[in-house]
Amino acid sequence: MSRRAKRQATELVPAHLYGLRRGTTPVLTALCLLFAIFVLAPLVWLLINATKNQAYVYGSFGFWFAGPFRLFQNIAALGQDISGAGIFVDWLRNTLVYAVLGAVGATILSALAGYGFARFRFRGANALFFLVMATLLVPITSLALPLFLVYAKVGLVNSIWGMILPSTVSVVGIYLMRTYIEASVPQDLIEAARMDGASELRIFLRIAMPLSVPGLVTVLLITVVAVWNNYFLPLIIFSKNSLYPLTVGLSSVSAAAESGTKADLVPVLITGGLVTVLPLIALFLLLERYFRAGALQGSLTG
Amino acid sequence: MADQLAQAAPTGTSLRIRRPSAGPSRTARRGKVRQWPGAVFIAPHMLMLGLFMLVPTVYAIYTSLYTTKLIGGTSFSGGANYVTVLQSSQFWDGVGRVLLFGVIQVPLTIALAFFFAAIFDAGIVRFSRFFRTVFFIPFAVPGVVAAVMWSFLLLPGFGPYATFAEALGLGKLNFFSSQLILPTLILIVIWEFTGYNMTILYTSLKSIPREVTEAAIVEGASLWRIILRIKLPMVMPTVVMLVFLNTVGALQLFTEPSILAAFQPQAISFGFTPSLFVYNTAVGSGEYNLGAAAAVVLALIIGLLSVAGLAVRRRDGEFS
Repeated sequence: MSRRAKRQATELVPAHLYGLRRGTTPVLTALCLLFAIFVLAPLVWLLINATKNQAYVYGSFGFWFAGPFRLFQNIAALGQDISGAGIFVDWLRNTLVYAVLGAVGATILSALAGYGFARFRFRGANALFFLVMATLLVPITSLALPLFLVYAKVGLVNSIWGMILPSTVSVVGIYLMRTYIEASVPQDLIEAARMDGASELRIFLRIAMPLSVPGLVTVLLITVVAVWNNYFLPLIIFSKNSLYPLTVGLSSVSAAAESGTKADLVPVLITGGLVTVLPLIALFLLLERYFRAGALQGSLTG
Repeated sequence: MADQLAQAAPTGTSLRIRRPSAGPSRTARRGKVRQWPGAVFIAPHMLMLGLFMLVPTVYAIYTSLYTTKLIGGTSFSGGANYVTVLQSSQFWDGVGRVLLFGVIQVPLTIALAFFFAAIFDAGIVRFSRFFRTVFFIPFAVPGVVAAVMWSFLLLPGFGPYATFAEALGLGKLNFFSSQLILPTLILIVIWEFTGYNMTILYTSLKSIPREVTEAAIVEGASLWRIILRIKLPMVMPTVVMLVFLNTVGALQLFTEPSILAAFQPQAISFGFTPSLFVYNTAVGSGEYNLGAAAAVVLALIIGLLSVAGLAVRRRDGEFS
């Protein structure tokens, strides 16, 4: 990382060469600051209001603390079924299961297929790759409904596999892995290994994959986010609230909170939103450099 | 890329390795190479793609050709569902709405993203690393949570943003009124996706060699000229791809309006977007066949627009 950072620093054209007017940098920095406030404000609001009770969420200034400090009671409420809509902790566990299994599956399938497309020329390869890319055009809303109708025939409605299996198909994942492998797994190396008598599977596992770790991490991150944030598919295929992921669970709480008759649901909604968002933000901050330096760079420039 | 290779190659395998070449080497194919394993490697993915994308697509078309009645069961009805969809003013209102939404949101998002990516790339902003990280954060926020947060922030009357607007002398704004609901959705989607687009454009700009910039400086070009006349054309393929992805996303708009509908039911109608029309028809009203027909029409509209877009780019010589 440090080596890369140093190289980038030396590659940067020194700013004074542009001959900018004196005020330019402060003005641009101020613009960035304004946009940063715009971006962070809702998350700050979420954090502050997770400490309030329902009356103070509506009755006090949104960007400062007010009333009794209720954060821990609000978090405790996430373990209870106070709306009749279901239990937040169940949704969190479901989301973890769907995201981990779906993303790991998608990464494995993308790595296999990306390698197959990048390093082999077989009959129909181009047509199949075009077919894969073309599925980007089919809207998820056009797929989820027929998927539900198919599930109804084969008994996959209200099954976790109905959620996990389609999540293992990642078109973006294949595209990224293909481009990454083309750039970082030399054909010469594969040929050499073949001459040494290595099996195809062994070459894939012991040569291609170790060279593709940044690409694999990027695909894993992208697919975790995709499953974590998926709303339409689980909304359609699950009717039992014990199977909901966070997104569908929260939307059912928000519907119940607005219908108004039930107990204090707004703090559950806000605190639940906070707990939904924090793990992914933490994951990104931890793995940021993969996202930056990884496959995005190689793949999207061309 | 090359230094990663140099580090990873010796540790990655116990096999005897010839000196690895320093980059992608498509020219290095020689002799007869076994190619059947390629098909085996892609088989698992193609199987899943077939089962979970192609089968449902075919089934949607099949379903859309039938009609289910309470009395008499399911019978073949040909294009009747399509006639119903194509004659539905609600459906077309929704299509018009997402087109208008996309025409405004996509250029705004990409212009903002390019502006920030370009000034970060030029290194003329302080704390640019911090800003890049912050701008990217909303990508990790699910659309459901984003819509919930913004529903509270923009609440008419006592939401903080309505209060700010009033303090600024804009009067009592109702962000969920029929005039403002579309700008409100645009605001939310810009909040969600600007950072993601910025990150991709930034990595793309970073790949332009510094010699290009240096040569332009020697020629006396100003920074803004370098950004707009030299760098922007060089990252045009990335911009085109982002326009495509953002447009497809805009046409499928569903999550944000469907969550807002819980808070502001009067603002979001049955067919506010085509995706909501599909969902409300199929799940809300239980008319699966009609919903499937609407889903097919929506997919065709998106496909046609994409092909038309590609054709225009090709005619203009952007793609070879």
